[in-house]
Amino acid sequence: MASSIEVRELTKYYGSLLAVDHISFEVEAGEVFGFLGPNGAGKTTTMRMLTNLTRPNEGSATILGMDTVRDSLAVKAAVGIVPEASNVFFELTTLANLTFTGALYGLPRKRITQRAEELIELFDLVPHRDRKSMELSLGLRRRLTIAMSIMHEPKVVFLDEPTSGLDVESARLIRDIVGALRKNGVTVFITTHNMEEANQLCERIAVINHGRLVAVDTPERLKQAAAEAQAVEVAFSRELSGDEEEKLSKMACVGEVRRLGDKYHLIVSDPPCVLRALYPFINEHGLEPIAINTYGPSLEDVFVKLVGKEKEPA
Amino acid sequence: MTETAVKTRRPPLWEGLRKAWAISGKDMKIYYFQPAVLIFGLVFPIAIFFAFLMGRDVQAVNLFPGLIALTLFFSTTTVAPFSVPWEKMNRTFERLLFAPVSMFDAVLGKVVSAFLFGLVISLVPLAIGLIFFGSRISNYPVLILALLLGNLCLATMGMLISTVNADTPPKVMMVLNVVRLPLMFVSGIFLALPTLPTYGRVLAWFSPVSYAADLLYKGMGFQSYFGVLISSLMLVAFTAVMFLWSIMRMSAWNK
Repeated sequence: MASSIEVRELTKYYGSLLAVDHISFEVEAGEVFGFLGPNGAGKTTTMRMLTNLTRPNEGSATILGMDTVRDSLAVKAAVGIVPEASNVFFELTTLANLTFTGALYGLPRKRITQRAEELIELFDLVPHRDRKSMELSLGLRRRLTIAMSIMHEPKVVFLDEPTSGLDVESARLIRDIVGALRKNGVTVFITTHNMEEANQLCERIAVINHGRLVAVDTPERLKQAAAEAQAVEVAFSRELSGDEEEKLSKMACVGEVRRLGDKYHLIVSDPPCVLRALYPFINEHGLEPIAINTYGPSLEDVFVKLVGKEKEPA
Repeated sequence: MTETAVKTRRPPLWEGLRKAWAISGKDMKIYYFQPAVLIFGLVFPIAIFFAFLMGRDVQAVNLFPGLIALTLFFSTTTVAPFSVPWEKMNRTFERLLFAPVSMFDAVLGKVVSAFLFGLVISLVPLAIGLIFFGSRISNYPVLILALLLGNLCLATMGMLISTVNADTPPKVMMVLNVVRLPLMFVSGIFLALPTLPTYGRVLAWFSPVSYAADLLYKGMGFQSYFGVLISSLMLVAFTAVMFLWSIMRMSAWNK
């Protein structure tokens, strides 16, 4: 599949601070790509360079085969940008914000009206069509910001922290919209520090820390990198004695035991091995298991592992 | 999904002008009736004019070209220095940077909205002078030239001032007034240029307001100091230089 976004050795300095350090990656056409990292890792700077809001000091990037610096106007015509802050014009109505955006992208007048009404419907903004944006809630403004970003039907959409601080309904609607964009073949580039969101939405994820790319892979493959962070969680009908807890922690393949409420959370690298040892333990101590669950590593575990590794001295 | 015009590196002129007009239209809707714009652009010059007129043995009719120049100067230079930092503060200015809008079109859009605002507002003292104070228009083409070139040049001046490194309207307004207040006294607004002291007449050459005022005086039956041709050319030159300078300064924002 052809690449929508190609990044080669992209680098950005702010004075002497190296914000983005020679990063390279590709995003395929129609892919939902997550850009994950802690605050200040270089996520937004990378997105700003890709959309030519900030010039890179070194390296280059192409979007749909066009150089982001040399062909900046053509790139801007082909991409939609949703910044972290919902920057709608507070003094304009929902409809006026959309029609102004359509005019900026050079859409024909008839199409502007048609498309604005389509988006008002799609984003569930019909009751707020003629309300000034200053009267809208945070969630409604966020929906409007995203609607404005796709007014011109871009082939690539950049979303910076799309659901940050939103109510459940708005966040779900926005995730549904991302799904719909993917179905329509739009490439979606999401920067986020919300791991669950990245896990749910993205086909591949790049992890960035201190301006450097630490990993680029699918969520599931990334999770395998933190295999030792898998867990078996077990709850018994009665509380274990100190001696029993001691034996549980020394059971084969168990790395660590954490008490979580009425459950025991066993951190393991090989869940089947623990399960094999757990049944003899239950029989030996006359225990009755209420629940036994196994958990793979979460993306958060992967993130902590990858980012933590970065912090270790060389 | 429709095909977007991704192949063209630069949009055609007409498309650029449409985008610039969209920016002007948005500015008109949002900023024309903002209290700060009306106070600095309309109330302020009229108050200064009457403060200057009262208690002096001067016929009001002789001061009307100066009042029109003053109103034109204050109204036109107020719009962009309010709207640009306001949009930077609310991050809505980024909307223009996200879109396929060239800096030329963005600056043009901002300048045109200020130009139209100044043009309409400067007609108010003109009408008052004609109706109530016996002012007369002796040279319509020169008066129209004064209003068009003067407003365009000073709208561009406001645009240039709005590009200072400040992110809130009050900070930019402060810079604006630091520039505007001294210019008011060396541009033939209150005192005709020939009556200024030597240093004033020298400084007047460096103020675009002088040329707008000079054309207004000529259009309303008074003597021109620079001559119509020089005043017109100087206004065009100032406009071109300040327009390009504004583009350069704004282009540096995304470095």
